[in-house]
Amino acid sequence: MQSLKRLRKNRGLGLVFGLFALVAAGQVSANGAIGDHVNDLKGHLGQYSEEVTWLIGKYDGVVDTYEAQGQKAVETQQLVDFWEEVDFHSAIETNYVPVYANIWQGIYGIKQAIEAGKPVDEVRAEQEKLNSAFWQALGAVKLASQFQEKGLLAKIQTTESEPTTMPETLDDIKHRLDRVVAKYAEQLPEAATTIVHDTYLNRFEGVEGALIEQDAALVEDLEKDFNVTLPQALDGKASVDDVRKVVEAMQAKLDRAKSLLLEAEKKRKDVF
Amino acid sequence: MQRRAFLHNLAAVGAISCMPIFIQRSLAADGGAVSVDQLPKLEGDITLYLGRGEGGLYENVLEAIRKRNPKLNLKIRRGATAALANSIVAEAKAGVRRADVFWAVDSGAIGLVSDAGLARPLPADLTSQLKPGFQYPQWAPVTGRIRTLPYNTDRLTPEQIPESVMALADSDLSIGWAPAYASFQSFITAMRLLEGEKATEAWLRGVSRQATNYAGELGVVMAVERGEVDLGFANHYYTLRLKNGKPNAKVDLAFTKNDAGCLVNASGILALSDGDLPINFIRYLLTKEVQAYLASEAYEIPLANGVKPPQGLPALDTISPPKVDLTQLADLRPTLNLMRRVGVL
Repeated sequence: MQSLKRLRKNRGLGLVFGLFALVAAGQVSANGAIGDHVNDLKGHLGQYSEEVTWLIGKYDGVVDTYEAQGQKAVETQQLVDFWEEVDFHSAIETNYVPVYANIWQGIYGIKQAIEAGKPVDEVRAEQEKLNSAFWQALGAVKLASQFQEKGLLAKIQTTESEPTTMPETLDDIKHRLDRVVAKYAEQLPEAATTIVHDTYLNRFEGVEGALIEQDAALVEDLEKDFNVTLPQALDGKASVDDVRKVVEAMQAKLDRAKSLLLEAEKKRKDVF
Repeated sequence: MQRRAFLHNLAAVGAISCMPIFIQRSLAADGGAVSVDQLPKLEGDITLYLGRGEGGLYENVLEAIRKRNPKLNLKIRRGATAALANSIVAEAKAGVRRADVFWAVDSGAIGLVSDAGLARPLPADLTSQLKPGFQYPQWAPVTGRIRTLPYNTDRLTPEQIPESVMALADSDLSIGWAPAYASFQSFITAMRLLEGEKATEAWLRGVSRQATNYAGELGVVMAVERGEVDLGFANHYYTLRLKNGKPNAKVDLAFTKNDAGCLVNASGILALSDGDLPINFIRYLLTKEVQAYLASEAYEIPLANGVKPPQGLPALDTISPPKVDLTQLADLRPTLNLMRRVGVL
């Protein structure tokens, strides 16, 4: 039941402002899972702050119980349920996917440490990482609210939108790769792998022809990343940090690809 | 002449007779591609459903059309070609028509829409601008892509490559393919239509014994170039683009003769609403300028008469593609069932 709920919550893509550079939106499934609050971030900052405080208290309570009464006294599924309950979840998911992934990583860090019966110090260390991710996420949403107020963030879209240029496509690919890390951190490796395959077939395939004219070796590298390195990382026992390293390396290559294609576009002849 | 064809031709004559004389003359001149300078200005509202295409180059074409026609209000809905085709049919069933024109990256999707009786007839002066074999009464192929056999030039000479794609199943060559790739599946559909289900199944079983799978066809071409396999199956443009980026690439193109191995598939456009605007919009895509642009920038094969193919590709009339009604390539389900049965998907 819980996993069904989580799968249903696959809310797709929103806006990203990685390193706070604004990038166009991707897709968001129109299942109504994301509330309208994400289009009025400023009006809900108070609520999000309260939710973060509530979450930190809840996780602290679980770890306290673990410390005082041991593993059997803790229902670890609660750790996932708390995060599923709050509106802040979709606020960060639609705005800054890298931190969203860190939150899932932190939740599962605590959950797995408890389930493995680790010493409480180790559990507390995971809890600290989660708390940092929550505060970082709240900061990101506050910044996003400022951009949104100035009209610099597009409204969160409820239908699929297609990137129309090759640089936009590359940005979209980077964003989708962030979601791969998020899904992996959410313990959904199959969903993560599906995003990789879809991104390759529906996005990268559309730009690699033009890119290979600029740098064949770079395309060869990215082909290997999409079809071997990243799927293998998702298939094996790699940690979230290891998957993130693969993704970050790919994103750096995609940045290089973008600058090459922007240069090439300047030299392209006119249609008429 | 069949009644349907007669009515179609009558409609075409009617459409062209509504135009100013100078446009009629220029458009009906010699069946060759016309210049954009000869076309009427586009004015009014039009909605285009655009199937995902070659990077941003189709977008560049549309932007250029917009700039040239400031009174044109062009709205575009983008998406996967097959999904848009399904939307158009579903909208029609619901009594709604949102799209005026549909530009699809593959002709199978065009077949889906035209089989539903939604495509408006095109005037003969427009279809006659297209090369023989690519003139259809209800849709216009825009650009083509040909199935090829990219081969490693260190490992093979052209003489070692069979002229029949069917013979590859009995060869000892190592082969790269991308069965999940849409163009490959269209190629197998063409084989099924031309050679029959049984022969296609035997071919798939034969080739699969010596084949290595790749996710996409650029991956196939790069594997051929690296020498991982002797040859592969891929659309022509990947090899041309690789050679442009890497002039010493150890890969060249071979073509089979008169079989699915050298199928020419096409992107295509059709009109869904009546009136001059959708038809004239289609004319822009068949101009010398747009056709030459897509040939030089996207390495696609121009299908309007008199426009040169991309550099590195032989002229279309020197290749012998099979005669296949491209819209029949929409019949993908039996192909996928066959590929799954054989275990290549």
